[in-house]
Amino acid sequence: MGFLKDTVADVRQVKDGWRWGRRPQVPRSAEPFVPPASQNVYPNDWSRTPAAMLAREVVQKVGLEPVFRSQVRVRAEGLDVLDRVAGPVIFAANHASHLDTPLILLSLPDAWRRRTAVAAAADYFFDTWWRAVGSSLVFNTMPIDRRGGSLSTTPGEVLADGWSLVIFPEGTRSKDGWMRTFRMGAAYLAVEHGVPVVPVAHRGTFAAMPKGAAWPTRGRPQLTIRYGEPLAPADGESVRDFARRVRGAVARLLDEDQTDWYSSLLRAASDATPDPAGPDVAQWRRVWESTQAPDADPGRIRAWR
Amino acid sequence: MTRPGFVLEVDDRTPPLLVHEGLGFRLEEFPLGTRVVYPPEPIPSLRDVDEAILDALLHPVDAEPLPTLLKPGMRLTIAFDDLSLPLPTMRAPDIRGRIIEHVLELAARAGVDDVELIAANALHRRMTEGELRHIVGERVFRSFFPQGALSNFDAEDRANLAHLGVTEKGEDVEISKRAAESDLLVYVNVNLVAMDGGHKSVGIGLASYRSLRHHHNARTMVHSRSFMDHEHSAMHSSAWRMGRLIKEHVKVFQIETTLDNNVFPRPYDFLMKREWEWSIRDQASMLAMRRGLALLPQKMRHRRFHDLRSAYGVTGVNAGEVEAVHERTLRKVHQQQRVEVDGQTDVAVFGVPYLGPYNVNSWMNPILATCMGLGYYFNSYLGRPVVRPGGVAILYHPLDEGFSTLHHPSYVDFYEEVLAESTDPAVIGEKFEQQFATDPWYIHLYRTSHAYHGVHPFYMWYWAAHAMDHLGDVIWVGADRAAAARLGFRAASTLRDALEIASSTVGTSPSITYLRNPPHLLADVR
Repeated sequence: MGFLKDTVADVRQVKDGWRWGRRPQVPRSAEPFVPPASQNVYPNDWSRTPAAMLAREVVQKVGLEPVFRSQVRVRAEGLDVLDRVAGPVIFAANHASHLDTPLILLSLPDAWRRRTAVAAAADYFFDTWWRAVGSSLVFNTMPIDRRGGSLSTTPGEVLADGWSLVIFPEGTRSKDGWMRTFRMGAAYLAVEHGVPVVPVAHRGTFAAMPKGAAWPTRGRPQLTIRYGEPLAPADGESVRDFARRVRGAVARLLDEDQTDWYSSLLRAASDATPDPAGPDVAQWRRVWESTQAPDADPGRIRAWR
Repeated sequence: MTRPGFVLEVDDRTPPLLVHEGLGFRLEEFPLGTRVVYPPEPIPSLRDVDEAILDALLHPVDAEPLPTLLKPGMRLTIAFDDLSLPLPTMRAPDIRGRIIEHVLELAARAGVDDVELIAANALHRRMTEGELRHIVGERVFRSFFPQGALSNFDAEDRANLAHLGVTEKGEDVEISKRAAESDLLVYVNVNLVAMDGGHKSVGIGLASYRSLRHHHNARTMVHSRSFMDHEHSAMHSSAWRMGRLIKEHVKVFQIETTLDNNVFPRPYDFLMKREWEWSIRDQASMLAMRRGLALLPQKMRHRRFHDLRSAYGVTGVNAGEVEAVHERTLRKVHQQQRVEVDGQTDVAVFGVPYLGPYNVNSWMNPILATCMGLGYYFNSYLGRPVVRPGGVAILYHPLDEGFSTLHHPSYVDFYEEVLAESTDPAVIGEKFEQQFATDPWYIHLYRTSHAYHGVHPFYMWYWAAHAMDHLGDVIWVGADRAAAARLGFRAASTLRDALEIASSTVGTSPSITYLRNPPHLLADVR
């Protein structure tokens, strides 16, 4: 009995100490001594073959979607924009949580979802074979290099094959729920391949499952997601200017999601869209505000206030 | 790319850390803020060791090339470090054997017939044939051992000792007669840590009790601060004086080697990795080993650890004049082991592993565990001790391995009779050392069996004299209470209990520093 008890205690100590099922952490004082991440990127071309698509359909519909719906409530708006555009497109969204990817994928119409890949950090999702296989199979991820600041050639090939692409231009999840600056990758791809960008704004994922959490909070938190009008780069528009325009569109969508469509348009016209980077206040206040779950129906008149 | 050693500060992201404790280890959750000193990773080793050996022999430092020193008709003696180095034992071929082969090839070419090889074991136990063969290699063993030309040094063979004189401080210098009367004495060492090598090689390794007593005593050890820093070590100063006197009588050609710190081969390599970088395989290996050890009886655990052979890389081979060579050697040792530590601490934590220099293929008895923890690990510093004066040392070891009556017979009496009376190194040295050093039965066992010399347990106790003088309290975690009490220390079940006991000495929120050793590290305390 003593041996079994000690074995259980040992396994539990290792499970907790090395965060089984979660990303291992490096003590802060050891961070300067972390060796450069492995350059191994596991190829995942197989994940866009018909067999893999079929397997993914089963995984997403039978496994992912029921679990996701059981843990969070979702309100998706603006999907009608997809009727007005032919694929492929680049979905450019803000990024605050691991919930963002399933939220986007599962809110898309099935036909779009089946032909949409997700650009994922090569150093994070493709450093081990099992992580590469898992994320490719469930989310149809494809590796991008975020360290060098430039995308590898693969995303262009994927777009050329007619696949839409979800890109989080911030490059990483927000630490406080507010939006960071956009990198050039999404805008570059759009300009280079002549693909429209559909801005996507969502709220509530940070409150439901912030960075560091492994599962959504209890009580089926509310998430909202809103798709905006597709943007196409204008003639002669630089990648930098286009990236700025995409960010502005996401900001306006966030404003719209919080208020209403028309007032957000008015603010955008007078260049008064609230800055999605958040107020310049103490960190705890920024986090505090981000942890408020979005109101699913802000216009509704309540009987009891 | 070799990463340097560094000092970790335990935070909420730090996993439990590995602490050695005899024939096992545990995962310890240290209080937040604890400093943990990690040694550097293995530095690059030599690609072609044979070429480096030849280069060292042909282009020595401050000495003539070895071939010019070898002449027909001369007396050549080759001495070498015994099995106390390196730790753990090196995987074959041992670097000493490789060097000796090269020296002998040059000697054969020069037509040298009178060659003898002596293991410089001083008052250590005689090595077995197997142990000698492992060090020198099969070719050398077969060529010299059957003829009696390869032997352990016998420090009690009065007829074969030579008294070379006394130093300016009145210290007797008495070493092996064969070595002293040779035309050339080649010494081959393994410089595992900074205290090894230099004039300590011949001056101590081939010396008798008459010579050793001048520096192996409580007074000298207390003033060796530390003996990992020969310029600030009273013991080394004495050895250096003796070495310079030896140099006047015999030509010494010193060959020193340095190793990297690849102490644990696969699948035990997780023992020297930084814990937060443990892969799933490392975690599984650790769990399997820990649970496996819990099932094994002590003898099998002992075998499992002591059968382990390290796949060291050779980082340097230097040959020539003793002091010039040693200076180069120390640079390499420091490069491999030195870690800067900012300031002293209230509490220092040491995990005493299964192995020390004096229990290779033997048992780590409580006296050797004390020597390992308070002698070697406490003294593994440059500048100042890691722990402040009056601070506390917390050591991990069960102190339950008992004694090897084959290897450590005098230790049993030392533990039962001497420590029962006093644990003060100066007092016991004064009162009992002579009796043990001259006891005919112990001398008989040392000369004919495989026993450490009768005086050896005193030396172990003296190694710890500086720590005992410096510290306010010593607490053993997970130790046999009776054994700890006999040693004059205290025992605690857990680190929390130990810190509770220590609070009467260092308060309730002391600064704590854990030396993550092995692999070997040298704390340069600023």
